[in-house]
Amino acid sequence: MKSTTNCKIIEILNLSDEQLVELSRKNVLSLSLVEMKAVLDYFKKLKRNPTDVEMETIAQTWSEHCKHKTLTGIIEYTEEESGKKTKRTYNNLLKETIFKATVELNKEWCLSVFEDNAGVIDFDSENGVAFKVETHNHPSALEPYGGSATGIGGVIRDILGVGLGAKPLANTDVFCFGDPNTKASKVPEGMHHPKRIAKGVVSGVRDYGNRMGIPTVNGAVCFDEGYMANPLVYCGTMGIIPKNKIEKKVNSGDLILVVGGRTGRDGIHGATFSSIELDTESDVSAVQIGNPIVEKKVLDTMLKARDLNLYRAVTDCGAGGLSSAIGELGEKTGAVVHLDKVPLKYDGLYPWEIWISEAQERMVFAVPPENKKKIVEIFKKENVEAVFVGEFTNDGKLILVYNGDVVTSMDMSFLHGGIPKSTRPAVCKIKEEKVQKPVKMNSSEIVEVLKASLADLNVCSKEWIIRQYDHEVQGQTIIKPLQGNSIEVSGPGDAAVVLPYTVVKGIKKGVVLSNGLNPQYGKINTYKMAASAIEESLRNAVAVGADVEKISVLDNFCWGDPSKPEILGSLVRAANACYDMSKAFGVPFISGKDSLNNEYSIGGKKYSIPPVLLISAMGVIENVANTVTMPLKNKGNKIFVLGSTRNELGGSVLAKIKNIKTGVVPDVYPEESKVLMKKIYQAINKNFVESCHDCSDGGIAIAISEMAFASGKGVNINIDAVEVEIKNPLTVAEILFSESNGRFIVEVKPENEATFIEILNGSVFAEVGYVSDETKIVFESKKTKILVQEQLEVLLNAWQNTINW
Amino acid sequence: MFEIEIFNKKGFKNSHGEHVLSDIFELAIRDITKVEYSPLYFIDGDINLSEAKMIAVELLSDKITESCTVRRYSDLNSKTVNLHMLSASVIEVCYRKGVTDTVVESVMKAVKDLGIDKDIKVRAARKYYLYGTVSKTVLNIIAIKLLANTLVQEYKIK
Repeated sequence: MKSTTNCKIIEILNLSDEQLVELSRKNVLSLSLVEMKAVLDYFKKLKRNPTDVEMETIAQTWSEHCKHKTLTGIIEYTEEESGKKTKRTYNNLLKETIFKATVELNKEWCLSVFEDNAGVIDFDSENGVAFKVETHNHPSALEPYGGSATGIGGVIRDILGVGLGAKPLANTDVFCFGDPNTKASKVPEGMHHPKRIAKGVVSGVRDYGNRMGIPTVNGAVCFDEGYMANPLVYCGTMGIIPKNKIEKKVNSGDLILVVGGRTGRDGIHGATFSSIELDTESDVSAVQIGNPIVEKKVLDTMLKARDLNLYRAVTDCGAGGLSSAIGELGEKTGAVVHLDKVPLKYDGLYPWEIWISEAQERMVFAVPPENKKKIVEIFKKENVEAVFVGEFTNDGKLILVYNGDVVTSMDMSFLHGGIPKSTRPAVCKIKEEKVQKPVKMNSSEIVEVLKASLADLNVCSKEWIIRQYDHEVQGQTIIKPLQGNSIEVSGPGDAAVVLPYTVVKGIKKGVVLSNGLNPQYGKINTYKMAASAIEESLRNAVAVGADVEKISVLDNFCWGDPSKPEILGSLVRAANACYDMSKAFGVPFISGKDSLNNEYSIGGKKYSIPPVLLISAMGVIENVANTVTMPLKNKGNKIFVLGSTRNELGGSVLAKIKNIKTGVVPDVYPEESKVLMKKIYQAINKNFVESCHDCSDGGIAIAISEMAFASGKGVNINIDAVEVEIKNPLTVAEILFSESNGRFIVEVKPENEATFIEILNGSVFAEVGYVSDETKIVFESKKTKILVQEQLEVLLNAWQNTINW
Repeated sequence: MFEIEIFNKKGFKNSHGEHVLSDIFELAIRDITKVEYSPLYFIDGDINLSEAKMIAVELLSDKITESCTVRRYSDLNSKTVNLHMLSASVIEVCYRKGVTDTVVESVMKAVKDLGIDKDIKVRAARKYYLYGTVSKTVLNIIAIKLLANTLVQEYKIK
């Protein structure tokens, strides 16, 4: 190995600990001292210094983004509750919580979990459905349009790269932004205004997703000032894959084919960049720019090649670029790559830049030599660039060659198995939650709070965003994001249902997609936040007609700096909630991702985002005809509140509006909820349910109002009839705005009432009112002489006018 | 080199300009009364005026809602611009050199698809006409806070 004009030898053999740390920092390697020492030991054995290409390869492969080293490392956790301390050591938090639940549940319909680019579950006898959700937070903070566009582009490629490739059917997007009403003068120098970030992110996802011809069917948007300089951009894609294409295996001798976009300097250090905090001088080259037209052509052509069995394995070039993609595919075999053969956007790239560039729209294939000509012809016909750059070997080594010089020679076993496990302390002091002083309001105050709740940024209509996305393309979207009587009048759907009839002919089966998240709960209790997110995602799916027994979930953790014990402790709590809820509901995790170090510095002071866990749910619905939407259907129909209303206002919309500092965060009671969910599924499948809506942010008052104005039909609700917890009595306002989990609002025809009640027998529920022939909502408590009345139009306007940019 | 500028025809909303104006108001800048937005393309290479016009009319503009001007770079100082626009301040925004510009990539391919099989270079920009009396400092604020992400884009105030 020699130093050339294109490849430098990095002197590490004689460096001190301080110098090793400085080397890592200076080159944006994001490697700790322990990791640098492991690198040093390896090269000492080889009796030489590494090249810059080798150092970069190690940094990419060992990055937090690729190896999830915090969650798979050793965590020494201490929990303190009421003065009592308990300790536990996790050798691999993921394996001991989330993955463990999936293993223990052992669902036969889980076809591929935590081992590929996406999780896959059974759809029908011939096909599986794959789902993946990714984050693209730091790039979106710097360049909202480009960062978010490549976020959705990247997760689409995850679906193309699962097994031998799935056909994308739907996208989802969930965003967390800072307060868009922040005064411009309060935004720190060098950072974008939250509204500019929001607009840029929405445009980026819109332009990429729409041009790919994939509908965006489900999502959520959350606002909190904690995300001002560090937005969260979650993008998801669901696809369908033949069962005989789920397995991939690279053979020695297979050729390495790079397909799609050319390689440029864009996206250098994306993987390691995601492991560091943001400041006003973050690395420019970490920003990627996407080109959906190229990716669309790759999508169409590679599925043709897949169906002709022309390759044995495929993966996408995501974080770490070719380094990660070829490194992963060749982990068990070894590989030789000629970097000078990689097509470039422009001259002047160093070998290490070619190797780790995160230029978009690239896929890597393992092609048997006999298919070399055929596969290139398929790509060539559609003007998709496809170039062979090397081959998979059998010596377990990664060899990189540039213009005849070997610039890398390392053992795959060191690259993938040589990373030392980190040990990190984690601490969680569980705060005692106290029920707030009784929230007493008169009728007119309740009306004002109702309107304020509907107008709240986290409740209000996201129509301005939703309508920019094509949620109809491919013509398979059965349940859509906005539901109501007309374009002007609509309410928020709970979940999306897609019928993939263009891929699987003559079927009635559909795929349901939903999500759950609430960072406000996480500010108080991350265990309950995670548990609530899981239940909310399930409730949303069940509300449209999904069977809770056939739902899988994905986890996406976005947290602050895990080197801070309190932050890591709160994450451990959330991971434990994932295990507990997954087991209790019988719902397996099939894939997930974590994005840590979501922190930013302003004037030297560090700020961490409010931690948040997004849960995305995917299930299979046997017959899409047996699904329901949320708008009320007909006057005279009965309205039921299912589930128990508890005094749980911690982190609620009401607490925010009325500045209530105490309150209990909603807990989850899976033993009650799961039974109820099964009964709802039964009732919907027997066509006893006219409409159903999940009860979450803002509570019963918001859920019922949304159902009413979405349909233009009034309601009369008897608040006294709602089933409430006896232990902590509730005022009328608390009944209306408590955010207890496990509740649904259901509309039933009078003639089906008796049978519906029979189905619900044994669960907590109450008939609370009826659909009226007026255009107003009425909430009445005769016991307390409270009568809340408001016109639907007024409530609809309150809901619709907050985000109308 | 040719400069091609696309304008909205009279009677058609310049909605992007209107959105920018509303964003300018949110910055508490009240002296801008109107904003017009025009896509701008620079095409360099071995093409003649009629080919440049063909690219402008057939490819880069919508005949129903938009009109366009095509000028040789050497003529750029001539007074062929719309007179009313002379009263406006102008901010031009384009990607920095080296940043992938997918619009440019698409234009280059589409020009070939039009049958003009010549080697050309394309640069795309966004041009904003801002009406009202404001200082260059304020224009800089508008450019940095709203129109250009200086991480990947550069801007010029004219």
